[in-house]
Amino acid sequence: MGNVEGRSTAITVLTPYKPTGRLLLPIVFWIGRHVTATLKKLQMLSFIHYARWVIVKRFPDGGDGERLRYPYLMFESNFNGSWDQYIDAFSEVVPTRMKGIWGTSYGFPGPIPVEPFKDYIRANEYVANHYYNAYPGATTTEIISAAKVAAALDDLRARAPSLSPDAFKAAYEDMLTSIQNDL
Amino acid sequence: MSRNVSGQAYGLTVLTPILDGHLQELTEHLEALPEGPDSPLARVPGTHLARWVVIDQVKYQGHGQRHRDALSASRLLFTSNFDGPLDPYLQALRTGLAEDADAVWSHCRGYPGHHEGTAFASYLRAHALEAALFFAAYGGHTLEQVRSNLDERARLIEFALGAQGLGAADLKARFQEAFPA
Repeated sequence: MGNVEGRSTAITVLTPYKPTGRLLLPIVFWIGRHVTATLKKLQMLSFIHYARWVIVKRFPDGGDGERLRYPYLMFESNFNGSWDQYIDAFSEVVPTRMKGIWGTSYGFPGPIPVEPFKDYIRANEYVANHYYNAYPGATTTEIISAAKVAAALDDLRARAPSLSPDAFKAAYEDMLTSIQNDL
Repeated sequence: MSRNVSGQAYGLTVLTPILDGHLQELTEHLEALPEGPDSPLARVPGTHLARWVVIDQVKYQGHGQRHRDALSASRLLFTSNFDGPLDPYLQALRTGLAEDADAVWSHCRGYPGHHEGTAFASYLRAHALEAALFFAAYGGHTLEQVRSNLDERARLIEFALGAQGLGAADLKARFQEAFPA
């Protein structure tokens, strides 16, 4: 059990939010979906594999769903690196967005300073009882790099038969230079 | 397009009510499941990262929150990040997990078992929630592509280290042997 599988860590957070969130969160997430800057910011946090936020107005029960006094915000993420680094990065790189997302949640202390933010996440976190990762040895950066390497390799592989040895050597060295940051 | 989709990746979120008196047994069962490549989820094609999380109760935030909330039943959260679309994946879950699906979700109210495909898929669909925002760093790549790319990268690094100092003809011959067109 636990939140770690290989090099990835799971985080699962569920928090109740205020009535103002009923109005604001749909706007915050609409912007998140339609204004690419938010997703680009998340991409900049180059250690997130997958993440999601889910608004839980009713907890599914097979019927109409169970409605509590408050709606809830669920956050699920898969990242590599330590839990502390992850929350630090959220606090430092995307504080405005964190405030937009959790700002209407009860008890949210704000993303800065980071220690109360960490206490808040810790207090509202659920530990995974079973966590599976299909590529436990790989970081997000390695996966993205590997895609670039594979594309460059495929290109050279296709061209190789028609190149003279000297032209191949030059193309091979060019390829290594072009992907040196991805190896 | 569904908010659960990013590229070809799909983010599934399922919350099912746990039967009264089953919380401990379910928790113990999940925590005793084999991990890594022996996880039952490894048998479900297209699964990148997935988890089961027992939500025993919602958390009270202190006096800023005037009322205490309480779920009438604890919930089992299942999330998966997989190669979409959803329908074939629900079938893959059913056939891949098989008895392991029953060993988990039979602790949840209304679970029909894995033997009947339509009922199994309907149950998970009926308890699924849509994401407000789903982020996938490499949502364009299937699990097979991710694994293949990682393998190619590792092989190229090994090749490049071994090929240092080779003449042009040897380099080309060795490359084509290692990476045929």
